[in-house]
Amino acid sequence: MASTESQPRFGQSVKGLLSDKVGSCSGDVIALTRQVLKGSRSQELLGQAARNMVIQEDAILHSEDSLRKMSIITTHLQYQQEAIQKNVEHSKNLQDQLRHLLK
Amino acid sequence: MAATGEEAAAMDSISRVPTAHPTVLSLGGKPEPRGEIGEISSDSQIVPTPKKPTNSIGDGGVETAEEAVEPAEPDINELCTDMFDKMAIFLQGELTGTCEDYCLLENMNKLTSLKYMEMKDISINISRNLQDLNHKYASLQPYLDQINQIEEQVSSLEQAAYKLDTYSKKLEAKFKKLEKR
Repeated sequence: MASTESQPRFGQSVKGLLSDKVGSCSGDVIALTRQVLKGSRSQELLGQAARNMVIQEDAILHSEDSLRKMSIITTHLQYQQEAIQKNVEHSKNLQDQLRHLLK
Repeated sequence: MAATGEEAAAMDSISRVPTAHPTVLSLGGKPEPRGEIGEISSDSQIVPTPKKPTNSIGDGGVETAEEAVEPAEPDINELCTDMFDKMAIFLQGELTGTCEDYCLLENMNKLTSLKYMEMKDISINISRNLQDLNHKYASLQPYLDQINQIEEQVSSLEQAAYKLDTYSKKLEAKFKKLEKR
C-alpha cells in the first residue's frame, strides 16, 4: 500500500526526509497555534467589545455635555438667589411704610 | 585460515579504494592505500567527497552495509538556530496580536473610567450647589411671604385710593351745585 510520510520513500536521502519532517513539524506548530487562537474566539469578542465601546462613547460625551450645562445653570441660579437676597432686605421698610399709610 | 584472512584484507582494500569498481576482486598483490575521507588531487588538496557505503564482513560471515550519507554542512547549527529563532518570533507575533487587542480595550476602559470620574465630580458639585440653593431659598421664604403681604396691602391701598377719588369727585360736584344756587 502507499507508504506514509513518516516512512522513508524510495530514492530519497535522509537529509531530504529530515528537512521534509522539519518543515511538516513547523507547519503543524503554526497550524496548532492558529487553531488555538481561532478556537478561543478572542479576536471576535475583543473586536465586538471595542465596537460597543465606540458606540457608547457618543452617549458618554452627550451626558458629560449635559452635566456641564447643568453646572452652569446652577451657577446662574446662585447669582439670581444672591440678587434676590439683596433686594428682599428692603421689603421690611416697605412693609412698615405701607402699614403707616393704611392706618 | 590464512587464506580467508588474505581474502578479507583484499575485500577491505577493494571496498575502501574509491576508484576501484566494487565488483572487481583483486586476490593478489599489495593492498592499495585506503581513501575513506577523500582523494588527494594533483594539487595536494583534500576534496570532501560523500562517504561511500562500506561493506564489511562480520564474524558470522554476514555482509553488512552502512548507508551512504552526505557530510554535514559546516553552518548547520547556525541554520537550525536561525530557524528556531524565526519560528519563535513568528509565534510571538501571532500571540502579540491578541495581546494588543487586550491592551487597546484596557486603554479604552481607562479613558472611559477617567471620563466617568470627571462626570462624578461635576455631579457632586451640582448636587452640593443645589442643596445650598434649596437651603437659601428656604431661608428666603419669610421674605417671600412679606412680599405677598405687601402685594395685598398695595392692592387694598389702591382700592382705598379709588374710593377716595370717587368721593372727592362727588364732593366737587355737590359743591359746584351749591355754588350755582
